[in-house]
Amino acid sequence: MNCQDCLERLDRYVDRELTDAEIEEVKRHLVDCPPCEDHFRLQVHLKRLVKVCCDQGGAPAHLRAKLRQILF
Amino acid sequence: MVEVAEDAAETRGPAAEPTPDHPVRPDDGTGGSDRGRSGRDEGSSRSFAEEAIGHLDTLYRGALRLTRDPAQAEDLVQDTYLRALRYQNSYQAGTNMKAWLFAIMRNLFWDRFRGGRPEDVSLDGDGEVSLYDTLRDQTAMPEAEVLDRIATDEVVRAVERLPELHREVVLLVDVEGFSYKDAAEVLGVPIGTVMSRLHRARRQLQKALYEYARESGIVHADRDR
Ligand SMILES: [Zn+2]
Repeated sequence: MNCQDCLERLDRYVDRELTDAEIEEVKRHLVDCPPCEDHFRLQVHLKRLVKVCCDQGGAPAHLRAKLRQILF
Repeated sequence: MVEVAEDAAETRGPAAEPTPDHPVRPDDGTGGSDRGRSGRDEGSSRSFAEEAIGHLDTLYRGALRLTRDPAQAEDLVQDTYLRALRYQNSYQAGTNMKAWLFAIMRNLFWDRFRGGRPEDVSLDGDGEVSLYDTLRDQTAMPEAEVLDRIATDEVVRAVERLPELHREVVLLVDVEGFSYKDAAEVLGVPIGTVMSRLHRARRQLQKALYEYARESGIVHADRDR
Protein backbone atom coordinates (compact mmCIF):
# COMPACT_ATOMS: atom_id res chain seq x y z
CA MET A 1 0.00 0.00 0.00
CA ASN A 2 1.34 3.44 -0.87
CA CYS A 3 0.56 6.73 0.86
CA GLN A 4 -2.22 7.68 -1.53
CA ASP A 5 -3.98 4.34 -0.99
CA CYS A 6 -3.60 4.82 2.72
CA LEU A 7 -4.94 8.38 2.80
CA GLU A 8 -7.89 7.38 0.63
CA ARG A 9 -8.83 4.78 3.24
CA LEU A 10 -8.22 6.95 6.26
CA ASP A 11 -11.81 8.17 6.67
CA ARG A 12 -13.11 4.62 6.57
CA TYR A 13 -10.33 3.44 8.84
CA VAL A 14 -11.14 6.10 11.44
CA ASP A 15 -14.86 5.36 11.11
CA ARG A 16 -14.33 1.57 11.42
CA GLU A 17 -15.84 0.93 8.02
CA LEU A 18 -13.06 -1.23 6.55
CA THR A 19 -12.90 -5.00 6.43
CA ASP A 20 -10.48 -6.79 8.74
CA ALA A 21 -8.09 -7.40 5.86
CA GLU A 22 -8.14 -3.74 4.85
CA ILE A 23 -7.60 -2.67 8.44
CA GLU A 24 -4.47 -4.83 8.63
CA GLU A 25 -3.13 -3.28 5.42
CA VAL A 26 -3.64 0.26 6.68
CA LYS A 27 -2.14 -0.61 10.05
CA ARG A 28 0.93 -2.05 8.38
CA HIS A 29 1.40 1.11 6.35
CA LEU A 30 0.92 3.40 9.34
CA VAL A 31 3.62 1.63 11.32
CA ASP A 32 6.14 2.35 8.59
CA CYS A 33 4.99 5.81 7.57
CA PRO A 34 5.13 8.63 10.14
CA PRO A 35 3.47 11.24 7.86
CA CYS A 36 0.40 9.02 7.32
CA GLU A 37 0.44 8.15 11.00
CA ASP A 38 0.28 11.88 11.77
CA HIS A 39 -2.67 12.29 9.41
CA PHE A 40 -4.38 9.43 11.15
CA ARG A 41 -3.84 10.89 14.62
CA LEU A 42 -5.15 14.26 13.56
CA GLN A 43 -8.27 12.73 12.03
CA VAL A 44 -9.03 10.65 15.09
CA HIS A 45 -8.49 13.66 17.28
CA LEU A 46 -10.75 15.86 15.19
CA LYS A 47 -13.50 13.26 15.15
CA ARG A 48 -13.37 12.90 18.92
CA LEU A 49 -13.28 16.65 19.39
CA VAL A 50 -16.39 17.14 17.25
CA LYS A 51 -18.18 14.42 19.16
CA VAL A 52 -17.31 15.77 22.60
CA CYS A 53 -18.06 19.39 21.74
CA CYS A 54 -21.37 18.75 19.97
CA ASP A 55 -22.62 16.27 22.53
CA GLN A 56 -23.11 18.72 25.37
CA GLY A 57 -26.36 20.04 26.79
CA GLY A 58 -29.81 18.56 26.57
CA ALA A 59 -33.39 19.46 25.81
CA PRO A 60 -34.96 22.19 27.96
CA ALA A 61 -37.14 20.92 30.80
CA HIS A 62 -40.29 22.62 29.50
CA LEU A 63 -39.90 20.87 26.13
CA ARG A 64 -39.54 17.52 27.85
CA ALA A 65 -42.65 18.19 29.94
CA LYS A 66 -44.64 19.22 26.88
CA LEU A 67 -43.57 16.12 24.97
CA ARG A 68 -44.45 13.85 27.87
CA GLN A 69 -47.95 15.30 27.79
CA ILE A 70 -48.16 14.65 24.07
CA LEU A 71 -46.71 11.16 24.19
CA PHE A 72 -48.28 9.68 27.31
CA MET B 1 -11.74 11.13 -6.86
CA VAL B 2 -15.14 9.63 -6.19
CA GLU B 3 -18.31 10.83 -7.86
CA VAL B 4 -17.95 14.51 -8.46
CA ALA B 5 -21.54 14.75 -9.58
CA GLU B 6 -22.98 13.40 -6.36
CA ASP B 7 -25.32 16.26 -5.62
CA ALA B 8 -26.50 16.76 -9.17
CA ALA B 9 -28.17 13.37 -9.14
CA GLU B 10 -30.14 14.39 -6.12
CA THR B 11 -31.62 17.75 -6.99
CA ARG B 12 -34.48 17.65 -4.58
CA GLY B 13 -32.70 15.79 -1.84
CA PRO B 14 -34.86 14.20 0.80
CA ALA B 15 -38.29 13.52 -0.62
CA ALA B 16 -41.29 14.86 1.21
CA GLU B 17 -43.42 11.96 0.09
CA PRO B 18 -43.05 8.67 1.88
CA THR B 19 -41.36 6.09 -0.29
CA PRO B 20 -42.26 2.47 0.36
CA ASP B 21 -38.74 1.21 -0.10
CA HIS B 22 -37.20 3.59 2.36
CA PRO B 23 -36.52 1.54 5.44
CA VAL B 24 -36.64 4.30 8.00
CA ARG B 25 -39.23 6.61 6.50
CA PRO B 26 -42.58 6.83 8.27
CA ASP B 27 -45.35 4.77 6.77
CA ASP B 28 -48.01 6.69 4.88
CA GLY B 29 -50.75 4.43 6.14
CA THR B 30 -51.54 2.96 2.74
CA GLY B 31 -50.05 -0.41 3.34
CA GLY B 32 -46.60 -1.86 3.59
CA SER B 33 -46.20 -2.79 7.18
CA ASP B 34 -48.98 -5.01 8.38
CA ARG B 35 -47.46 -5.63 11.74
CA GLY B 36 -49.39 -4.36 14.71
CA ARG B 37 -51.50 -2.06 12.62
CA SER B 38 -54.73 -2.24 14.55
CA GLY B 39 -53.76 -4.51 17.36
CA ARG B 40 -51.27 -2.23 19.11
CA ASP B 41 -52.26 -2.21 22.75
CA GLU B 42 -51.72 0.49 25.29
CA GLY B 43 -48.66 -1.25 26.64
CA SER B 44 -46.74 -1.27 23.38
CA SER B 45 -47.81 2.31 22.73
CA ARG B 46 -46.41 3.26 26.07
CA SER B 47 -43.17 1.45 25.51
CA PHE B 48 -42.88 3.17 22.13
CA ALA B 49 -43.29 6.52 23.86
CA GLU B 50 -40.76 5.59 26.54
CA GLU B 51 -38.19 4.56 23.99
CA ALA B 52 -38.84 7.61 21.83
CA ILE B 53 -38.48 10.10 24.66
CA GLY B 54 -35.22 8.42 25.60
CA HIS B 55 -33.75 10.00 22.46
CA LEU B 56 -34.95 13.51 23.30
CA ASP B 57 -31.62 15.01 24.35
CA THR B 58 -29.73 13.73 21.36
CA LEU B 59 -32.50 14.79 18.97
CA TYR B 60 -32.60 18.23 20.50
CA ARG B 61 -28.85 18.65 20.15
CA GLY B 62 -29.10 17.58 16.54
CA ALA B 63 -31.98 19.98 15.95
CA LEU B 64 -29.97 22.79 17.51
CA ARG B 65 -27.02 22.10 15.21
CA LEU B 66 -29.33 21.96 12.18
CA THR B 67 -31.42 25.04 12.89
CA ARG B 68 -28.81 26.97 14.92
CA ASP B 69 -31.70 28.45 16.86
CA PRO B 70 -33.15 27.19 20.17
CA ALA B 71 -36.75 28.17 19.38
CA GLN B 72 -36.64 26.53 15.96
CA ALA B 73 -34.93 23.51 17.44
CA GLU B 74 -37.80 23.11 19.92
CA ASP B 75 -40.37 23.39 17.14
CA LEU B 76 -38.50 20.90 15.03
CA VAL B 77 -38.20 18.38 17.86
CA GLN B 78 -41.84 18.75 18.84
CA ASP B 79 -42.97 18.25 15.24
CA THR B 80 -40.67 15.25 14.97
CA TYR B 81 -42.34 13.61 17.97
CA LEU B 82 -45.80 14.44 16.70
CA ARG B 83 -45.03 12.80 13.39
CA ALA B 84 -43.36 9.85 15.07
CA LEU B 85 -46.45 9.35 17.20
CA ARG B 86 -48.72 9.52 14.17
CA TYR B 87 -46.64 6.98 12.28
CA GLN B 88 -45.63 4.80 15.19
CA ASN B 89 -47.19 1.76 13.54
CA SER B 90 -44.60 1.96 10.79
CA TYR B 91 -41.80 1.69 13.31
CA GLN B 92 -40.76 -1.91 13.77
CA ALA B 93 -39.89 -2.65 17.36
CA GLY B 94 -36.31 -3.71 17.82
CA THR B 95 -34.97 -1.74 14.85
CA ASN B 96 -32.93 1.43 15.14
CA MET B 97 -35.32 3.96 16.62
CA LYS B 98 -32.71 6.69 16.84
CA ALA B 99 -32.12 6.40 13.08
CA TRP B 100 -35.87 6.36 12.48
CA LEU B 101 -36.37 9.53 14.53
CA PHE B 102 -33.42 11.27 12.91
CA ALA B 103 -34.82 10.44 9.47
CA ILE B 104 -38.15 12.01 10.41
CA MET B 105 -36.41 15.04 11.85
CA ARG B 106 -34.10 15.76 8.96
CA ASN B 107 -36.92 15.33 6.44
CA LEU B 108 -39.03 17.77 8.43
CA PHE B 109 -36.08 20.11 8.63
CA TRP B 110 -35.67 20.19 4.87
CA ASP B 111 -39.40 20.36 4.18
CA ARG B 112 -40.36 22.94 6.74
CA PHE B 113 -37.32 25.05 7.32
CA ARG B 114 -35.66 24.80 3.95
CA GLY B 115 -38.57 24.45 1.55
CA GLY B 116 -37.48 20.94 0.63
CA ARG B 117 -34.46 22.12 -1.32
CA PRO B 118 -30.97 21.35 -0.12
CA GLU B 119 -28.72 24.35 -0.48
CA ASP B 120 -26.09 24.25 -3.15
CA VAL B 121 -22.86 22.80 -1.98
CA SER B 122 -19.66 23.64 -3.74
CA LEU B 123 -18.45 20.58 -5.54
CA ASP B 124 -14.92 21.69 -6.21
CA GLY B 125 -12.15 21.56 -3.71
CA ASP B 126 -11.80 25.32 -3.40
CA GLY B 127 -11.17 26.51 0.09
CA GLU B 128 -10.50 23.07 1.42
CA VAL B 129 -7.18 23.09 3.14
CA SER B 130 -5.75 20.31 5.18
CA LEU B 131 -4.99 21.41 8.69
CA TYR B 132 -2.24 18.88 8.71
CA ASP B 133 -0.48 20.28 5.65
CA THR B 134 -0.85 23.84 6.82
CA LEU B 135 0.40 23.26 10.30
CA ARG B 136 3.26 21.21 9.02
CA ASP B 137 4.44 24.24 7.08
CA GLN B 138 3.83 26.86 9.67
CA THR B 139 4.25 25.65 13.18
CA ALA B 140 6.27 23.31 15.27
CA MET B 141 3.33 22.58 17.56
CA PRO B 142 1.88 19.09 17.27
CA GLU B 143 -1.42 19.19 15.44
CA ALA B 144 -3.33 17.43 18.19
CA GLU B 145 -2.13 19.98 20.70
CA VAL B 146 -3.42 22.79 18.50
CA LEU B 147 -6.83 21.15 18.44
CA ASP B 148 -6.82 20.80 22.22
CA ARG B 149 -6.42 24.54 22.62
CA ILE B 150 -9.53 25.30 20.61
CA ALA B 151 -12.56 26.08 22.75
CA THR B 152 -15.64 23.88 22.66
CA ASP B 153 -17.80 26.75 21.45
CA GLU B 154 -15.50 27.32 18.53
CA VAL B 155 -15.71 23.69 17.44
CA VAL B 156 -19.52 23.82 17.63
CA ARG B 157 -19.48 27.04 15.63
CA ALA B 158 -17.29 25.45 12.97
CA VAL B 159 -19.71 22.53 12.68
CA GLU B 160 -22.69 24.88 12.49
CA ARG B 161 -21.05 26.83 9.69
CA LEU B 162 -20.71 23.79 7.48
CA PRO B 163 -23.13 23.69 4.53
CA GLU B 164 -26.22 21.83 5.71
CA LEU B 165 -25.67 18.79 3.50
CA HIS B 166 -22.21 18.40 4.98
CA ARG B 167 -23.26 19.29 8.50
CA GLU B 168 -25.91 16.59 8.74
CA VAL B 169 -23.42 13.88 7.74
CA VAL B 170 -20.98 15.01 10.43
CA LEU B 171 -23.82 15.00 12.97
CA LEU B 172 -24.89 11.49 12.05
CA VAL B 173 -21.47 9.86 11.72
CA ASP B 174 -19.19 11.77 14.07
CA VAL B 175 -21.58 12.94 16.76
CA GLU B 176 -24.20 10.17 16.76
CA GLY B 177 -21.87 7.37 15.72
CA PHE B 178 -24.04 6.06 12.88
CA SER B 179 -22.47 3.62 10.44
CA TYR B 180 -22.19 4.84 6.84
CA LYS B 181 -25.04 2.47 6.00
CA ASP B 182 -27.37 3.84 8.67
CA ALA B 183 -26.44 7.41 7.79
CA ALA B 184 -27.14 6.67 4.12
CA GLU B 185 -30.58 5.35 5.05
CA VAL B 186 -31.41 8.35 7.20
CA LEU B 187 -30.35 10.71 4.41
CA GLY B 188 -31.78 8.65 1.57
CA VAL B 189 -28.50 8.75 -0.41
CA PRO B 190 -25.95 6.12 -1.48
CA ILE B 191 -23.11 5.26 0.89
CA GLY B 192 -20.61 6.78 -1.56
CA THR B 193 -22.37 10.13 -1.15
CA VAL B 194 -22.12 9.86 2.62
CA MET B 195 -18.39 9.22 2.26
CA SER B 196 -17.65 12.08 -0.12
CA ARG B 197 -19.70 14.57 1.90
CA LEU B 198 -18.05 13.45 5.10
CA HIS B 199 -14.61 13.81 3.58
CA ARG B 200 -15.34 17.32 2.35
CA ALA B 201 -16.93 18.27 5.65
CA ARG B 202 -13.83 17.22 7.55
CA ARG B 203 -11.54 19.18 5.28
CA GLN B 204 -13.76 22.23 5.79
CA LEU B 205 -13.69 21.74 9.55
CA GLN B 206 -9.92 21.49 9.53
CA LYS B 207 -9.71 24.69 7.56
CA ALA B 208 -12.13 26.56 9.82
CA LEU B 209 -10.37 25.43 12.98
CA TYR B 210 -6.97 26.27 11.56
CA GLU B 211 -8.14 29.76 10.67
CA TYR B 212 -9.51 30.18 14.16
CA ALA B 213 -6.26 28.94 15.66
CA ARG B 214 -4.34 31.45 13.63
CA GLU B 215 -6.66 34.37 14.32
CA SER B 216 -6.66 33.70 18.03
CA GLY B 217 -2.88 33.37 18.18
CA ILE B 218 -2.79 29.66 18.99
CA VAL B 219 -0.56 29.20 15.98
CA HIS B 220 1.46 31.86 14.26
CA ALA B 221 1.65 31.93 10.53
CA ASP B 222 5.18 33.19 10.37
CA ARG B 223 6.78 32.29 7.11
CA ASP B 224 10.39 32.61 8.17
CA ARG B 225 10.59 29.83 10.66
ZN1 LIG C 1 2.18 6.89 3.98
